[in-house]
Amino acid sequence: MSGAEIARQDRIRELARQALTEGKVDYFIGWKAGHVPSEVIPAFVRNVDECDMLLWNPLCHHNLTTFLKRKMPDPPDARIGVCVKGCDSRTLVALLQETLVDKERLYVVGVPCDGIIDRRRLEKAFSDEVIDIAFQGEQVVVTTRGGETKELAYEELLLEQCASCDFPNPRYYDDLAGELLPQPEGPPRFPGLEEYEALSAEEKDRVLADAFATCIRCFACIHVCPVCYCWDQCVNRSRRPALVGQKVAAKENLMFQMVHMFHVAGRCPSCGACDRSCPVEIPLYLLHRKMNKELFEMLGFQAGLNVEDKPVFQTFNIDDALGEQ
Amino acid sequence: MKFLARDQLPTLLADLSTAAEVWVPVKQQNGVVQFDRWAPDVDVELDVFLARQSPKENVFPQTETYLEYRYLMVCSAQRPEFTDQTREELRQLVESEGGEVVAEVPPVAQELLLVADVGGGSQGEPGLGSAAGMDDSAQIILGLRPCDARGLSQMDNVFGGYGGFYFDPYYNVRRNNTTIIAVTCRTPRSTCFCRALGGSPAGTEGVDVLMTEIEGGFAVEAVTPKGESLVERSVFEKAQPEVEESAVAAKQAAEAGVNVPFELDGVREGLKAGFDSPVWHDLAMRCISCGTCTYVCPSCYCFNINDEIVEGTGERFRCWDNCFNPMYTLETSGHNPRESKHARFRNRFSHKFWYYPDKYDSLLCSGCGRCIMYCPTHVDIREVLRTMSAETTAEKGEA
Repeated sequence: MSGAEIARQDRIRELARQALTEGKVDYFIGWKAGHVPSEVIPAFVRNVDECDMLLWNPLCHHNLTTFLKRKMPDPPDARIGVCVKGCDSRTLVALLQETLVDKERLYVVGVPCDGIIDRRRLEKAFSDEVIDIAFQGEQVVVTTRGGETKELAYEELLLEQCASCDFPNPRYYDDLAGELLPQPEGPPRFPGLEEYEALSAEEKDRVLADAFATCIRCFACIHVCPVCYCWDQCVNRSRRPALVGQKVAAKENLMFQMVHMFHVAGRCPSCGACDRSCPVEIPLYLLHRKMNKELFEMLGFQAGLNVEDKPVFQTFNIDDALGEQ
Repeated sequence: MKFLARDQLPTLLADLSTAAEVWVPVKQQNGVVQFDRWAPDVDVELDVFLARQSPKENVFPQTETYLEYRYLMVCSAQRPEFTDQTREELRQLVESEGGEVVAEVPPVAQELLLVADVGGGSQGEPGLGSAAGMDDSAQIILGLRPCDARGLSQMDNVFGGYGGFYFDPYYNVRRNNTTIIAVTCRTPRSTCFCRALGGSPAGTEGVDVLMTEIEGGFAVEAVTPKGESLVERSVFEKAQPEVEESAVAAKQAAEAGVNVPFELDGVREGLKAGFDSPVWHDLAMRCISCGTCTYVCPSCYCFNINDEIVEGTGERFRCWDNCFNPMYTLETSGHNPRESKHARFRNRFSHKFWYYPDKYDSLLCSGCGRCIMYCPTHVDIREVLRTMSAETTAEKGEA
């Protein structure tokens, strides 16, 4: 791990300790090691002496702001400390824009981020179970259960979205863990869409139909999504009215995901949590990142940048270029 | 014991597929391994340790149509002339589609309701509206692991009328026509815990034939009479003594790779004693209340029944459901006895290790570890059970 990353981790622990000692929060949400060192999971720390289990490294992929949305805090009025990366901070900003979380009950630690590892891609390079992933400078040392060890380049293992990240720094925080990173120049990037966009309408239909035929409707994608907060009132499960078919079939599955996509449009910053949570690896980014690209090109809008902004579907601008589309 | 040479696997599959539909683990385009129909151009994937889902769907499809119907309703008081017309329409429908009028509500409420079962099924598949339409074709599943097979056999009790409870004809017709050829695990994962539940990476519960990978091929053992007749095929050679020795060694190596992360004794008592324990709140903190664990589980069997109707044509089907779903316990009054996240979370573990064993004399978990692997936040069933076992110990300590 680089010096900067160790410094961030130390600072996260220190800020968590402080917040708990001062009674600023009831619990603090960060990341910790799972059942094997290669697995990082959300950590809920209530006691000062547990703060040392908090960690920071390029495996901390969970967007922890999902634990702030309706029905997730326990007790419901808990005062919560939470760590956010750049992308996570944008979902938090989206929640704040809609006043769905109370700023007063929140303590936010912003963590500048160099990019998260694509664990799925990494695992596919091994037939054995990956149990340890260690970071040594620019190298990632991967160890399997059978004892095989391989060194891979960190740069090459980054999630596609991280390799062209526009916001490595959090957009909203109370305290910062580590130094801010240089802010990338230029217009926002929407990677990974070229191949899909080059297809004809029929081919696009087929790609989506094929992808969603494998959906098992576990709803991980919507539950893990911080800005998808209808909880029990989700239209995708509603029987009255029965707007979305309950059958698990390609067409119905796509319909369900379309509902999700349109519903989070304007609030989704493409953090990729849905994509990473899908147990059957449906490329959900195709829908969400594409939607965000459209929103930017049509309306110049990007989700979750400033708390004062209004989500795009809650505003009307006479200059919006809708007429030209 | 028999021996099957590795290069004879396609021959075996081709042979089996003459009399039954054969299902095997197959690597999909995106690299995910799932069970799929075997065909001569399909590669069987036995290197990837577990398919993403067990072949539970082969006996218990995620969506299963019971019946299709036409629902004709006329307001007989206001438009009496339509009553006869509707009857006639229905009669023609029954004639042309081979259905049957299953309900006719007399026009007491100034309405005439006619419901016709038109055979069921969809997309060219035979209907399930009547027993005659039930899918009873033979299938063989090859390449599942012993935990997957055990998961199926654990579900059998709830669908099979155990203890005088409901007998499910749809499940059983399929289950009885299914032959299970399991393959002993070669490289168990750190998430495996079958041994903690009395299972084994070479377990035979629910298995008809067990194949164990050895040098050059597979050691093949028949477990049931169904399996006995299957291994009579000429593609299986008589096993030399060293085949048996290698199989024993392979099984022992696999056993050694499976951890025993908790003691099963005390889990049920712990769950009972700790039902109201505040510990559940802590355990459920990182649960996001989706249903992934239940849909990748080889033994979760809950389902709901839906009626969907468009312009008078309706379908009644069952669909997998799960205890994290709001509709799972929602009552007609609007009250939901399991409103909070931790209560829904608690049900999954209590069902598997307490309620189900109490009612059906079987565990409802075979220790495959998929719920740990595919949970978006890696909620760990082993941690939950360990923690809850300690609840009794804690109580005993106090007393």
